[in-house]
Amino acid sequence: MSKQIYKLHPISTIINFLKGLKELIIPVAIILFSRFLNRSEELNFWTDLFPILIIAIPVIYILFSGIIKWWTFIYWFENDELRVEYGLFIKKKRYIPFERIQSLNYKEGIFHQLFGLVQVMVETAGSTNGKPEVELTAIRKDAARLIEVQMNHSKNQQRSIELGSNIEDGEIVTELSNELVHKMPNNDLLVLATTSNSIGVVLAGVAAVLGQFSEYIPYDLVFEELRVFVQFGVILIILVIIVGLLLAWLLSIAITFLSYYDFSVMKESEKIIVTRGLLEKKKVTIPLNRVQAIKIVENPIRQIFGYASVIIESAGGAISEKEKKMTLFPLIRKKRLDPILNDLFPHFALDLNVTRPPKEAKAFFYRVDFIWLIPVIALCSYFYYPFGLFSFLLIIPIILLGIWQFKTTGYAIMGNQLTIIYRTISRVTFLVEKKRIQVVVRKQSYFQKRKKLASIQATVMSGLTGATAKASNLNEEEANIVLDWLEHEKKGHLER
Amino acid sequence: MRKEPSHKIPRKGLTVWRLYGVISTIIVLVLAGVVSFLTYRFLWPTFIYYIAIGLFILNAIFSIWIVPNIRWDHWRYEVREHEIEIQSGLFVVKRTMIPMVRVQHVDTAQGPILKKYNLANIAISTAATTHMIPMLLSDDADNLRSRISELARVAEDDV
Repeated sequence: MSKQIYKLHPISTIINFLKGLKELIIPVAIILFSRFLNRSEELNFWTDLFPILIIAIPVIYILFSGIIKWWTFIYWFENDELRVEYGLFIKKKRYIPFERIQSLNYKEGIFHQLFGLVQVMVETAGSTNGKPEVELTAIRKDAARLIEVQMNHSKNQQRSIELGSNIEDGEIVTELSNELVHKMPNNDLLVLATTSNSIGVVLAGVAAVLGQFSEYIPYDLVFEELRVFVQFGVILIILVIIVGLLLAWLLSIAITFLSYYDFSVMKESEKIIVTRGLLEKKKVTIPLNRVQAIKIVENPIRQIFGYASVIIESAGGAISEKEKKMTLFPLIRKKRLDPILNDLFPHFALDLNVTRPPKEAKAFFYRVDFIWLIPVIALCSYFYYPFGLFSFLLIIPIILLGIWQFKTTGYAIMGNQLTIIYRTISRVTFLVEKKRIQVVVRKQSYFQKRKKLASIQATVMSGLTGATAKASNLNEEEANIVLDWLEHEKKGHLER
Repeated sequence: MRKEPSHKIPRKGLTVWRLYGVISTIIVLVLAGVVSFLTYRFLWPTFIYYIAIGLFILNAIFSIWIVPNIRWDHWRYEVREHEIEIQSGLFVVKRTMIPMVRVQHVDTAQGPILKKYNLANIAISTAATTHMIPMLLSDDADNLRSRISELARVAEDDV
């Protein structure tokens, strides 16, 4: 294997630069804005120049650091490792053995697409802090393919050695075959976009920007104008709010639409590959053997229309910068889901006879909420005397929700698979294999004990803290069955 | 009906829990004293005295007497070949079962008070969670630690 050294594509300087600029936008905007407000000061050359300098220095710094990073960044393959080296004064080297690489994920922004490039993120089990182990900002697509080929090659070699090396090298390196499992239809995408909760993200974004600027907003002036505004009448204000919310909603639809456009899931030997995005294409790989648990989430609105979403709890390896959990299907018709899941995870059974909590448990689902509800009602009624009494009406939805949770909750054991179904507001079906369970906890409060009830919760590894599913207020015996199930079959007590 | 885990926490553990309660009560006493003094000094309303005294008494009763008793009564543990079972809790009794295969590492820890009483805490970590068995006799804790790590090494993923 000749040692050939590869570099990133020059475009990565621009991408690095723009990425740096993006982080500067808010401070720069604040500086410009404050300049704009303090116009009245006498102008002289230096005070005029000062803010420009403040902006210019970091911009130049970012530009140069981007160029330097591209200039010094090299990678090559040696000894079944991906080796990366960069840095001008401080040389950073990172060698990753191919067998430790869990997945290669790809991202294509607008610049990437213009030049036929791709960003490669190399994930290992260690990269739990949300950042990939190695990030190749921009390389040609065939170069990216080469990494994959090299990786598969060395992994296969490893395997053939383990198997006793009686298999020829070339035989194993077969062309990777992708099998399209699911492609989101356009009308599903529309449903996803309109019912998504990214409106919250948009509103939070607006709030964050306003928060940044709040020091500079001349509230006195604004309120003066607001008073005039108020005189126009409440209707106008409500109209403005409605229009604002509508805009935020449309924006969130657009965002969802762009990021989930052309969503498709493919299966490739031991991996699942998810691709999505219009302006920024993303390709994420999930190794099947890292899947710890599957969560099928149905929120009430989508449940009515027969839709569900599927989340995968995966061990280690942050999948992308912000998502700890991997969304396998953001939205899928429940009818279509079962055959697809059977195809992807043949060892999971979906049709189960679920054991529900007994009738006596019903009250437990809403009684807990009274702990916070009673003080709230008491305070409301006391301080806002006549109208505060309406807070008693809160009891009705709480009880209804409790009954709904009671109707949903359940568990099932089938072979080595534990299924827990529960609802906070959305109905969640949690599927896990015995060998992935880290801990099972049975909880029983004093009141539960009197009624012979107990809750059971199972934790699997996911991210740093793990993911937990809880089936509340089951029959005590049923909860014990789960503990017995987890217990090893042989009852060999090794007493000390 | 499942049997409860076989081992209890040694009696000395209860004493140490009581001692912790005494320490927290002393802290509350000092705080209550400061508040009472300020009330006296700045002529704040008298009901503040009653609140301070009440909190002190409640804290004393609960943290020295009731809570340690219940906790000690509920605490059980059992280390078997293939799993560790821990029972703990105050009002809600938690029964935790950790398969031996999932144990990543075991720690023992001992602060100054525990050292005085020759006790130690043992912490069992899985990939996702950490579980504690408190107030074990030092020797027992050390033995248990090495036994768990031994068993964890032997246990194979047979599923």
